[in-house]
Amino acid sequence: MSAIPAEATTVKTKADTTGQYDDLVNAGYEHGFITDIESDTLPPGLDESVIRAISLRKGEPEWMTDWRLTAYHKWLEMPTPTWASVHYPQIDYQAISYFSAPKKKDGPKSLDEVDPVLLETYEKLGIPIEEQKALAGVAVDAVFDSVSVATTFREKLHEAGVIFCSISEALQDYPELVKQYIGSVVPPTDNFYTGLNSAVFTDGTFVYVPKNTRCPMELSTYFRINTANTGQFERTLIVADEGSYVSYLEGCTAPQRDENQLHAAVVELIALDDAEIKYSTVQNWYPGDENGKGGIYNFVTKRGDCRGHRSKISWTQVETGSAITWKYPSCILRGDESVGEFYSVAVTKGRQQADTGTKMIHLGKNTRSTIVSKGISAQHGQQAYRGLVRIAGRAEGARNHTQCDSLLIGDKSSAHTFPYIEVKNPSAQMEHEATTSKISEDQLFYCRARGLSEEDAVSMIVNGFCKEVFNELPMEFAVEAQKLLSISLEGAVG
Amino acid sequence: MSAATNRPQAAAAEAFAGWLQGLADGSTAGEEQGWLSAERQQAAERVRAQSVPTGKSEEWRYTGLRSLIDQGFVQVDEPLTALTPEDIEEVLVPGLDACRVVLVNGRYSETLSDLGALPRGVRIGSLRAMLASDPEALQGVLTRIAGAGNHVFAALNTAAMQDGLVVLLERAALMERPIEVIHLSVGMDAPRVAQPRHLISLGEGAQAQVIERYVSLGDALYCTNSVLEIALGRDALLTHARVQQESLNAFHITGLYLSQDANSRYAGVNIGLGATWARTDLVTRFSGEHAECDLQGLYLAGDKQLIDYHMDVRHGLPHCRSRERFKGILHGKGRAVFDGLVYVARDAQQTDADMSNRNLILSPNAEVDTKPQLEIYADDVKCSHGTTVGQIEPEALFYLRSRGISAALARRMLCLGFAGEIIDVLGPEALRDYVTEQVGERLERVPLE
Repeated sequence: MSAIPAEATTVKTKADTTGQYDDLVNAGYEHGFITDIESDTLPPGLDESVIRAISLRKGEPEWMTDWRLTAYHKWLEMPTPTWASVHYPQIDYQAISYFSAPKKKDGPKSLDEVDPVLLETYEKLGIPIEEQKALAGVAVDAVFDSVSVATTFREKLHEAGVIFCSISEALQDYPELVKQYIGSVVPPTDNFYTGLNSAVFTDGTFVYVPKNTRCPMELSTYFRINTANTGQFERTLIVADEGSYVSYLEGCTAPQRDENQLHAAVVELIALDDAEIKYSTVQNWYPGDENGKGGIYNFVTKRGDCRGHRSKISWTQVETGSAITWKYPSCILRGDESVGEFYSVAVTKGRQQADTGTKMIHLGKNTRSTIVSKGISAQHGQQAYRGLVRIAGRAEGARNHTQCDSLLIGDKSSAHTFPYIEVKNPSAQMEHEATTSKISEDQLFYCRARGLSEEDAVSMIVNGFCKEVFNELPMEFAVEAQKLLSISLEGAVG
Repeated sequence: MSAATNRPQAAAAEAFAGWLQGLADGSTAGEEQGWLSAERQQAAERVRAQSVPTGKSEEWRYTGLRSLIDQGFVQVDEPLTALTPEDIEEVLVPGLDACRVVLVNGRYSETLSDLGALPRGVRIGSLRAMLASDPEALQGVLTRIAGAGNHVFAALNTAAMQDGLVVLLERAALMERPIEVIHLSVGMDAPRVAQPRHLISLGEGAQAQVIERYVSLGDALYCTNSVLEIALGRDALLTHARVQQESLNAFHITGLYLSQDANSRYAGVNIGLGATWARTDLVTRFSGEHAECDLQGLYLAGDKQLIDYHMDVRHGLPHCRSRERFKGILHGKGRAVFDGLVYVARDAQQTDADMSNRNLILSPNAEVDTKPQLEIYADDVKCSHGTTVGQIEPEALFYLRSRGISAALARRMLCLGFAGEIIDVLGPEALRDYVTEQVGERLERVPLE
């Protein structure tokens, strides 16, 4: 048998060009630091008593405790999903502490009462709460580990009738609203991680926008994982009542550490008749060091339900962090003429792995969905787009356009596309396009010839590649996202 | 609740496993070479080891096996020799001049085949006969390509193969006349499964054109589980057409395993029209650089039909090119599945791969599930895929109607235009005309909805 001739020469030249930029790669994680604040933490481990303890500490109504316990028992029977193209050691769920709250003497009534160390943390992250309060008009419900510590602009929102608070507060103040909607889009039994989240979620955000109300400002939450060994199990529930509009921003950074941390959040969006929800995410959890050590496991279930006619849900995400991302923000287009959108930029470098995408389930008539996914994979980064477009038999006139492009930087990176398309209606129009390529020598040469450094040239090309998605982000976020992208790609280029 | 729904599933899985094993075990042909019986045993072992495919396994996600299992097909044992050349006239392609091979229920038929004079270096014959007369020619070639794959039906075929077609072209051999292979199925009193195994091997620089046709006499209920292995040497060129026109009651499973050496070229067109349940796996591996693989297809699925194409093209070496272009027309309650994977390994720089799947749905009850996948580990590549699902443009229909063309004819014209892109690739002309006619006739029977 003749051996397979390996074409060594081509590979070698590639490696050489890559090596040229490797020195630039080791730009450390910008947001890596640990804030030293005493935390009230449960010992690691998970059983019924832990769930009861969490529920008790939160002072939750009894139905919630039961709900959690039911979810827990279902979760025990569920297998860990293995279909995603990501690899990681088995997670020991008994080694995680499921509750951690910063200790506080009395609940802060205003920003002045907030622990100054915390405020400093936010400032390091570039979230000037005071400044935002004064200038940007953004209400921030900053989550420090598991309990909300600073909530601003509550009153202004209250005037408009918008409820914006942590989910724990919502369980106290608006239990019937929470009870009506929680788990109605993402049931606890949806998958392994939603089961876990439903059993142990500690905090998160609740938003309710009443009928015919346009939320007067963009709502924003910064999540942050702090205390070592506490997984964060956030639960976000946003309900937009008939004819309302809300834009919600979510951004994350996490301090540098060596142990893998689990983040299994659940986000549920509900849009009733004529309502619109815009949900934007900039995700920059700690991705691990250059050997892939440490880093956050980001196993998130996000789903929006366009329950009403002419409703709209739009997901925009910029994913640059986490060691592993497993995330499929989805839309169920139930109402007639409802619209779903998914815009995504995902960057994987170092040893990062991302398996992300969306699901668009067309059930109503004349429903429309747009998917634009841009993946950038550098160094040893691994990335997969996994998407489902399902057009049900009664989804007359449904329309979908999908575009997923991948950009590969360096010959050790990888990019995959796994689209699932199921069409059961003849009047449906469905298009899917995907390309995979690298930055061409010609493009680079053109920019270089005009005096741009290689890095600037690449940054410019990449930003152009992602423009379609950045355009969907709210202004403040778009700037941050672009900055994040250039920082992420710093030195990863070749 | 789950226990109640699991029980029939478990029972079905058990029945399926039992059925597969029975087929795999009860078929050892006896008096053959040691290497082949070893292969058979390993394959039977693999069948046993396989977990039974269910809707949960990715490869069978959209293709239920229930209706297949329920038939309880048993292996064909005896060759059917009663047919005369007159009997098969109705299934011939008019005006096609070709070297003709006929297999009846998976067994090579000497009486019906008409090879004519073969050029030097070309051997065409029965697998069974060659295993008896010249087994050395097949050792190391047969089962090499379809090899240890984990496809349960391919393994089953290896364990149970009895006969089939062998086409061997030596180095630089040139077969100018097309080779037409007619896989003819005739219904028997009990539902039977035929498991023929075919091998086409082209030496360095050899060239050939093969036309495979799957046809039946009458509306018989039967199952074909065939595997075709193709080995292309350096610079070899194979043009390959496959027209599947099984009876509308038939079950059709085929695996095409292709291995291409440097600079070789494969151009294949798959036409899927028949069978109630059809699953085709096209698997390509490159063993040399600068090879080209072109896979095209057209499928029409109507009432009670499921047509499933699975494609797996693996680029393990640099500078190879692959094209997959499949189009489908769905009507009635027809269902189609397209699952294409292009895999580009780390070293396969300069790969050029393109995949497209376009579907036209004519009725509210038809369904298409398409999954074009790219898995890419090299950066200097050009890879793309595209999928569309849609209906006939009302504007196009209106344009034709306004010129006095009936709705039915207008629709047929537009569908033929859509399908024509694939049909036009077919050669020779007689075959192209024949397929156009078959597709046209089929479309004529589709009621307006």
